[in-house]
Amino acid sequence: MKDTETRPRQTGQETAPATAACYGPLLVEPDLPFIRTIGSRIGDSFTRCMQCGTCAATCSLSPESAAFPRKEVIWAAWGWKQRLLSDADVWLCYQCNDCSTRCPRGAHPGDLLAAIRQECIIHYARPGFLARWVNDIRYIPVLLAIPALVLALALKLRDPLDALLGFSARSGDRIVYAYSSPFPHWLINGVFFLALLLVLTTVVFSIRRFWRHMKCSLEKDFGLKQVRGVWPSLGATVKNIFAHHNFSGCTTAHIRYLSHPLTFFGFLALSAVTIWVITAGINPLIKGEFIYPFAFWSPWKVLANLGGLAVAAGCVLTIRERLFGTAYNTAGNYYDWSFLITLILVALTGFATEVLHYFRMEPHRHVMYFGHLVFVFALLVYMPYSKFAHIFYRTTALVLAESFGRKKGVPPLGDGPRGGAAP
Amino acid sequence: MSINARPILVIGGGIAGMTAAVEAAEVGHRVILVEKEAYLGGRVMRTHRYFPKMCPPACGFEINTRRLRQNSRITVHTLATVEEITGHAGNFKARIRVRPRYVTGTPSLDGAIADQLESERDNEFNLGLGRTKALYLPHEMAWPPLHVIDREALSDADAAKLQEACPAGAIDLDMADEELEVKVGAVVVATGWRPYDAARLDHLGYGRCANVVTNVMLERLAARDGPTGGKILRPSDGDPPRNVAFVQCAGSRDENHLPYCSAVCCMGSLKHVRYLREQDPEIRATVFYIDIRTTGRLEKFYQDMLDDEHVTFLKGKVAQVDEDAATGNLQLDVEDTLSRETLHPEFDLVVLATGIVPNTADQPLPGDLAYDEYGFVTGDGATAGVFAAGCATGPCDVSSATKEATGAALGAIQSMYGGD
Repeated sequence: MKDTETRPRQTGQETAPATAACYGPLLVEPDLPFIRTIGSRIGDSFTRCMQCGTCAATCSLSPESAAFPRKEVIWAAWGWKQRLLSDADVWLCYQCNDCSTRCPRGAHPGDLLAAIRQECIIHYARPGFLARWVNDIRYIPVLLAIPALVLALALKLRDPLDALLGFSARSGDRIVYAYSSPFPHWLINGVFFLALLLVLTTVVFSIRRFWRHMKCSLEKDFGLKQVRGVWPSLGATVKNIFAHHNFSGCTTAHIRYLSHPLTFFGFLALSAVTIWVITAGINPLIKGEFIYPFAFWSPWKVLANLGGLAVAAGCVLTIRERLFGTAYNTAGNYYDWSFLITLILVALTGFATEVLHYFRMEPHRHVMYFGHLVFVFALLVYMPYSKFAHIFYRTTALVLAESFGRKKGVPPLGDGPRGGAAP
Repeated sequence: MSINARPILVIGGGIAGMTAAVEAAEVGHRVILVEKEAYLGGRVMRTHRYFPKMCPPACGFEINTRRLRQNSRITVHTLATVEEITGHAGNFKARIRVRPRYVTGTPSLDGAIADQLESERDNEFNLGLGRTKALYLPHEMAWPPLHVIDREALSDADAAKLQEACPAGAIDLDMADEELEVKVGAVVVATGWRPYDAARLDHLGYGRCANVVTNVMLERLAARDGPTGGKILRPSDGDPPRNVAFVQCAGSRDENHLPYCSAVCCMGSLKHVRYLREQDPEIRATVFYIDIRTTGRLEKFYQDMLDDEHVTFLKGKVAQVDEDAATGNLQLDVEDTLSRETLHPEFDLVVLATGIVPNTADQPLPGDLAYDEYGFVTGDGATAGVFAAGCATGPCDVSSATKEATGAALGAIQSMYGGD
């Protein structure tokens, strides 16, 4: 323990937090596997940090007190895993990488915070093995085989089930399918819905734990008090998310002020259309016959096509920035790419199915649709374990930060230069 | 054992080159000293005081010029550059190009004539702060004590005026480049340094905010023969500053600029704080630093300053400097990494501690010299018989430079024993 005792002295404020109650006993010993895991994802450049503070002073989102990402960089170098995983600040960062551009040591704090967010998702997600699979390239075959088998089983069971239940959901009372499809939609919807319900239930537990840890850390480590209710904070956060305010101040990866809203609103549009379609059978707003698929110029189809185009365009812009842009240190790791590629494949297979359908190409349209469903399953059901989970974790952290007044523009504890403190 | 009678070529007439030249000459060797400027003394001559003793460089320089003047074994070429070096240890051939000074020195010239001229040029000795006439003495202590004519700046009318007013033969406006070829036994490289180009530090306000100056500019502002007669004043309005920020590592220890530590800027800034405290007992100064690197005997200088209530040391690298257009004051963005607070303090003058770039970074010397990735001359793989000293080998202060120069002179002498 000798070397651990010297640490607080060397860095002034970086003493052990007042309480270990937030996350069980706090290990002051470096968590070497954690350091290695981070290193395996983004390289070990973060260990080159000399704690100059350029990043924290450069950041356009960081609060004025105990700013990120400087403190996170040294916590990571020390392997202070628990503290990082309950640090709301990690999620206030949008990885615009202005800090990495300015960093005098090439430590790439922006990439580091992204890697910590990934560790957060893996850490809090349940069941843990699924999180490990989703974040490990070797499990691609397994992860794709699951939806493929489920869908194949559904296809196989269509007729026996129809016979058993004595009805065919293909021709409901009001829903008219304008083409013959081998897919038992009621079954697919049912399977998807159940799977989604299951994983979303796990998310509730993950987020509860995440919330508790962050809250405890804000109160005990940062000495902050809740200044705003959770619901008003949620309202403000949702408004902020929709307006993409936090993307606007960035200069390095400014393209994401365009690519994220494209993907975000495109996905919302597609979700709205999908929900409209699968709930058509029970939707009291729909009077008379509901004809599916929609005609090309029907408002719903137009919305779906625009949404799909927006998602695809947003993904292409992001991929271009990752491959050829200057904003990122690395082109991203498997966690970034698996999400990005799944998303764009959902959009592309969707369009391909649509085109094949217009030309009535058999059996290509059904094969393509099968593939589309596999990717949709992968996108949605693996959501709590992939980068997609940021919609839960980031939103939670933003709400909590909002309710604790932890954001840019809140005045620092003192005013003017202080110190005289000799190192 | 025989000793080679050929002279030693010393490239660079700054503190390291002058030291190497006089040390070698005083033990009996002939020396050819080549300096690209019109005067000897280099960067050190532009310094107001030395740290840590706070004595003016002029007095040490005066001793060196006397040693140089009294020693007939030293030949000095100013306005000269070495164009080519061939041969091997003990037997080099060097081609030296001497640019015209247009002032012959005999008969001597009355400097007052310059006042009658209209043509002016930027005062590069003062780093562009202020102007001189096209006929000028580089600085008050210049050695050789000869005027120079900036031929490009000199108008035809002024040229005619000079021809008429000067004694016959004192100036020669048709003087051309001269090429010399010399045979030498060894070479000492003391080509020195230049400050890092602060124009690249746009985020720190240089070139964008009038009251952001560099450390080397502050030396000239503090110097009695500088542009303000020794008063440190704000460039925007000429007011004396009341609250000054020192931004350490402005370019140094930064992979986007100079990845290495420039070694002297910490002591340099502490010395500048002393200038300010002597000028105005009420002045406040804040030094923004990553680490204060004052080692050995220099540590006490820093320790004493920590006790000064008017001086604040704040651990954090400045990320951004912006100007208040109305007052010309500067606002800094910096994290105090000890209190973990991000601050935006305001100052009326900001001094950037810019670092050391070797002159060989973009102008490598002729011959087969090895450089590191930043352009400093390294010992590894260097041609036998060629020695380097001072900031040509790495950032260093004056006392280390003179020690290295003495070592290089000894190395040069040793390399000539037993040769052809």
